[in-house]
Amino acid sequence: MQLDLDYFHLLAEARNVRSGEGAGKLRLAVMADCAAQHLQPLLRALFHRKGICVEIYEGAFAATDLEVRNPASALYEFHPEVVVVLHSVQALRDRFYRRGDSESFHNELFQQLTGIWDSITSTSRALIVQSTFVTPIERFFGNYDRKINTSFSSTVSLLNSFIVDESRQRRNLLLLDLESIASWTGRRSWFDERLWALGKSLCSLDNLPLVAQGIVDIAVAARGQAIKCIVLDLDNTLWGGIVGDDGPHGVRIGSHGDGEPFFRLQCFLKELKKRGILLAVCSKNERANALAPFLENSEMVLTLDDFVMFVANWNNKPENIQAIRQELNIGLDSMLFLDDSPFERASVRTMLPDVIVPELPEDPAEWVKSLSELNPFEVASFSAEDMQRSDLYLQEARRRTASETAPSFEAFLESLDMTIEVERFVPKHLGRIAQLLQRSNQFNLTTRRLNEAECEAMMLDADGYIPWYATLKDRFGDHGLISIVVLRPEPETETLAVTDWLMSCRVLGRGVEEYLMNSVVDQARQMNLRTIRASYIPTPKNDMVKDFFGRFGFTKVSQTPEGATDWTLNISSYEDRHVLIRPATEMGATTI
Amino acid sequence: MEDVIAERLTQTFRSTFGKRDIQLSRSTTAADIKEWDSLMHINLIVAVEKEFRVRFTTVEVMSLNNVGDLADTIARKISKV
Repeated sequence: MQLDLDYFHLLAEARNVRSGEGAGKLRLAVMADCAAQHLQPLLRALFHRKGICVEIYEGAFAATDLEVRNPASALYEFHPEVVVVLHSVQALRDRFYRRGDSESFHNELFQQLTGIWDSITSTSRALIVQSTFVTPIERFFGNYDRKINTSFSSTVSLLNSFIVDESRQRRNLLLLDLESIASWTGRRSWFDERLWALGKSLCSLDNLPLVAQGIVDIAVAARGQAIKCIVLDLDNTLWGGIVGDDGPHGVRIGSHGDGEPFFRLQCFLKELKKRGILLAVCSKNERANALAPFLENSEMVLTLDDFVMFVANWNNKPENIQAIRQELNIGLDSMLFLDDSPFERASVRTMLPDVIVPELPEDPAEWVKSLSELNPFEVASFSAEDMQRSDLYLQEARRRTASETAPSFEAFLESLDMTIEVERFVPKHLGRIAQLLQRSNQFNLTTRRLNEAECEAMMLDADGYIPWYATLKDRFGDHGLISIVVLRPEPETETLAVTDWLMSCRVLGRGVEEYLMNSVVDQARQMNLRTIRASYIPTPKNDMVKDFFGRFGFTKVSQTPEGATDWTLNISSYEDRHVLIRPATEMGATTI
Repeated sequence: MEDVIAERLTQTFRSTFGKRDIQLSRSTTAADIKEWDSLMHINLIVAVEKEFRVRFTTVEVMSLNNVGDLADTIARKISKV
């Protein structure tokens, strides 16, 4: 999920919004001392993205004070649910030059604002969204300016403090924090003095969508549509590295260096949790591995108590998120999913389109910044209950239809357009092959730590060994060399032995292991071998594959007290597994 | 009007107004296009600035009387670059 906030794109988008479209309705009034017309199409487009049809009333230009005080005005006839009061620092500047530079000016402004809020509150039940003032570009005394309490920048700063204080007292007053929005984007590009001169435009057109999005975020949160639960991946999301391989103390987390971004994300999440947002873990891991850092690594900020659910298994994530949703009894649209893997994000986005799935920058150091910009956690703590209640039914209905039409995981896999290359070891890949043999812990059947020279020997031993590597590509990119299977024919017993089988867990559950098993059986058929023989040797980390051969119809023939097992398969009983991966070339697996 | 500028201007007007049938001439003014109000005027100015990578001064914007003026101003600014 990346927000397109291009002004002209939104203009075109707004033209395609038909009135009355959208499940929710919202009546929004904009009272401004600057040109509000530019906001209208942006608001229509951005509310439409949230499934809300907005009706907009635009108060007469710079007539807010009069209109809010007249109970018979068109504003109240409109029966607004939300009244946005937009005050520009440019209009304030004009008044300051005429009238300013005195303490009585401050009091006059305070009274003016109080008058507006009191009038709206006494005449309507609308939520008031008051803008803050953007720090002006004028600095008469440079850095000294703020030391003078009646200077323009001091006036603006006082006024903002007043607005903030009042918003804490008044339950129906929310802030549209223009000062924060403008400082984020940069005030130098925020102000366009030409557009102010020509048409009293609040800011440059490029920045106007940020203002509209701010209004939408507030209004949507006020209706109670807030994120209630964040679903979190673990490896390379909550910490750097893979706990199954690196161990609970080897994962990167801490206040310095390359663990710092993960430390900071955990701090950020902990704050959200304190504010009442639920945290849930959804990780492809052995449960014991997933839990270990929380139990053993003292650098961890989040503790197991911070999570309402802790799901660690090898199921696909959309299924697990559904399970979390059912358990918590919340809507998919109130869930946000954080995962470093583009594959997992796409799978959740495809199968559970209501779940909010932010795109994450490649560098974890940018994540909190990116999340803050996306602003998914906007709330209005005193949500107008009446609006919420009627919406609940709509949301429920929408949820039900969404789950009924959710595409299957298989269809998603198919859409990935995966291609695999399975080849005999070649010199140029020996380095990576040896590395994978050294490092793979979890999906590794025999965990033989062969070095590069041993791999080369197998490569050259054309009669003794059939050593395969596999590479995988999909529409997201190249996963590189992700699996190794080593076979050894034993003609005297008409047997094909599997001596090594390992795979990177990143590509688990996509059919790679099924594809390779089909290839292994095929190889046996071609060599007129009848039986496949394989072993599983347990280590502290490879529990996930202890029944790997059983899944493919192998028979367990022996088991040692330590848990090592031997398996055989009569290939006449094997039925090729259905896979959604194509060979990379037409020759593909048959060239092996 | 210079052909290249005229073509790009026409495209910019069409996408800004969302109307594919807009035809421009040097004498076209706001009176000729129904949707061309003061709001659209600002949109147009900014869209044209983006398209031609130029920046108009306030005086330049104020002194535009028709599309011909706009094209001339663009041509002058581009040639300076």
